[in-house]
Amino acid sequence: MREHVKGVILVASLGLFALAGALISGTRVTYAHEISIALTLIAVALGYRIYLHGIRSLRHGNVTAQLFATIAIFISVTAGLVLPSASATGTAEAVGYLTASAIVAFIILAGMTLEDYIIHRTRGALEKLIKMSPTTARIRRDSAEVEIPIDEVKMGEIVLVKPGDKIPVDGTVISGHSTVNQATITGESIPVEKTVGDRTFAGTLNERGALEIKVEKVAEDTTLAHLILLVEEAQEKKAPIQNVADRFTTYFLPIMAVLASSVFAVSYFALGFDVALARTVTVLLVACPCALSIAVPVAVAGTIGNASMNGIIIKGGTHIEKLKDVNLVAFDKTGTLTIGEPRVVEVRTFDNYSEADTVKYAAIAEKFSEHPLSKAIIAKAAEMSMKIPDPTDFKTIPGHGVDAHYGNKHILIGTKMMESDISEKASQLMNRVESEGKIAIPVALDKNVIGVIVVADTVRENSLEAIQRLKRLGVKTAMITGDNARTAKSIAEQIGVDEYRAELLPEQKVAVIGELKKGNVVAMVGDGVNDAPALANSDVGFAMGAAGSDVAIETADVALLGDDLTKVEYAISLSRKAFNRMKGNIVYAFIWNVVALSLAAFGILNPVLAVVLAEAGCISVVINSALLLLSKPKPLTERELKVSISEKVG
Amino acid sequence: MTVEKVILNTAKIDCTGCKACASDLEAENLRHALARLSGVSKVKVDEITGKVSIEYDTQKIGFSKITERIEKLGYKVEIVSREEIQ
Repeated sequence: MREHVKGVILVASLGLFALAGALISGTRVTYAHEISIALTLIAVALGYRIYLHGIRSLRHGNVTAQLFATIAIFISVTAGLVLPSASATGTAEAVGYLTASAIVAFIILAGMTLEDYIIHRTRGALEKLIKMSPTTARIRRDSAEVEIPIDEVKMGEIVLVKPGDKIPVDGTVISGHSTVNQATITGESIPVEKTVGDRTFAGTLNERGALEIKVEKVAEDTTLAHLILLVEEAQEKKAPIQNVADRFTTYFLPIMAVLASSVFAVSYFALGFDVALARTVTVLLVACPCALSIAVPVAVAGTIGNASMNGIIIKGGTHIEKLKDVNLVAFDKTGTLTIGEPRVVEVRTFDNYSEADTVKYAAIAEKFSEHPLSKAIIAKAAEMSMKIPDPTDFKTIPGHGVDAHYGNKHILIGTKMMESDISEKASQLMNRVESEGKIAIPVALDKNVIGVIVVADTVRENSLEAIQRLKRLGVKTAMITGDNARTAKSIAEQIGVDEYRAELLPEQKVAVIGELKKGNVVAMVGDGVNDAPALANSDVGFAMGAAGSDVAIETADVALLGDDLTKVEYAISLSRKAFNRMKGNIVYAFIWNVVALSLAAFGILNPVLAVVLAEAGCISVVINSALLLLSKPKPLTERELKVSISEKVG
Repeated sequence: MTVEKVILNTAKIDCTGCKACASDLEAENLRHALARLSGVSKVKVDEITGKVSIEYDTQKIGFSKITERIEKLGYKVEIVSREEIQ
């Protein structure tokens, strides 16, 4: 911010000196002309930033508008100081040349300051992340609470976070219960429940309750710190389309040299020295090479900044260009389209037993089992807020089920535990459930089946919407999975992917991606760890739920920090928009330069008008690119959502 | 505590001299990125010459980590001087 204030003060004082110089020249003060010249020269000198940049660009062998402006102002000031002594018109003309120089310097400097500000704003997403970095942490040491700088927090210490405070470290909750807004990291503004055993991220906001967190990562090792580095680096990585712009700018200097000298030569012989000088200066001032070279980097920074505010890390300009071409997205199933943990989706009961009875007896028998299916049942019991007593005795028979007693009741769980006892009705139900790719767990009480618990891996809430959004964009979808064909078919039908491949080993997934790539630009979405080879083989690899997993962030081209799959479509449509904007800007800047240079060469512009035009061209390109930062995801219309639901039902 | 002071020459690779690079803000970004490294106590960036001067605690951060950071941000780095000052 201080930089901008300095910039504005500089522009304002330049303007004041120029104005004072111009005003005083018309008065009858003694030495009015001399004072006016001095004031105007000070004004011109205050434009030193322009000249320094111009000279620096020459040192690096580059071309900037500042370089041309420096030359133009130099010519004009020299003319203003030298000509009067040689010509008869005297000091009035000197003031004319000098005032024009000061006005030109004022406009250019104002333009530079404005552009600086806009470019700075484009990087604002980064600033926001940096501002979220915690500086202190409240920790418990020797049974007292102390607030210490974040650098002094050590691994394994306990951090106390009050409601409304920022969480200062990456770690695990060891006590307390709260909701945490993780928008900084995942881009999802709906707060997440956190309780004992859950992971937390530095820079996220604790909302309701107090939490005690065991420190696992501090300062530079936190997910937030890594994000900042990634975004910082990504914004600096140029997009291939930049090369097109660069090619134009390489020819700019020689073309300008030829153009400026021919304009001078032709008008000198046709119209005399004064006109020739004015036209040459105008040609130099109207040239706007920066509009060409700045269009792409600002758009890249804006796009990556926008994405990062939505929990998407695009790792450089190259990936923006790849993303825009994606016409097929392949999803991994387990853990990506689905939650990846079995859950109880249905409870069927027989005779007069209730759902609660079935779940309760099953949970008693499974209470001490570590099996994923047992966990699903116990989670269901907890969800129904049941208190589960311990079984009197139990034994698990691996691959078969559980045999347990509770009081005088005998509980059996699992198909293979009770083959002869299953009723016709239960058996039919189980066949139907299994044909849908779900798992049916019969529960028997004293050898009598009282119910069947249906367990399945469930589809994520927004998977359907994610697929629907991609369809709206005209992108094909595919699901690839190591799971059996029956389960795959069931999930594929629920979410409406165009095609699916099942029973694939990891190396076969890689081969399938290769196959899909024939004639398509393929993005692959996976967890980034198990699917790393398939992600690497795709054109654009998306790692999902990448917050907290450095491996996933590292391997992916695009990392989705949360687990909202609709962000895949957003990343693609944002990239398409960004690329169109870059291309449009380059074409626009090119035409702008050709038109403006022609006008200047034929003497239609004067120097001040020329510099106004040049700055307007440049600023419009910068603003157009920077506006990408404000682009927002386009929600599905109600009708589109309805279509997706009816398709799901049908 | 050992503090070292290094002076580096930096130049943006692929810089076409557009205003995105040739601005004070580019220097500001580099300055902020370096100042955030823990162990770095003083950073000066000259926007015109690209000269960067950094003071840092050698026990907290290695020299290579600093240059690596600058390179990752897309600059060429050249050492001008490096001396122990404390």
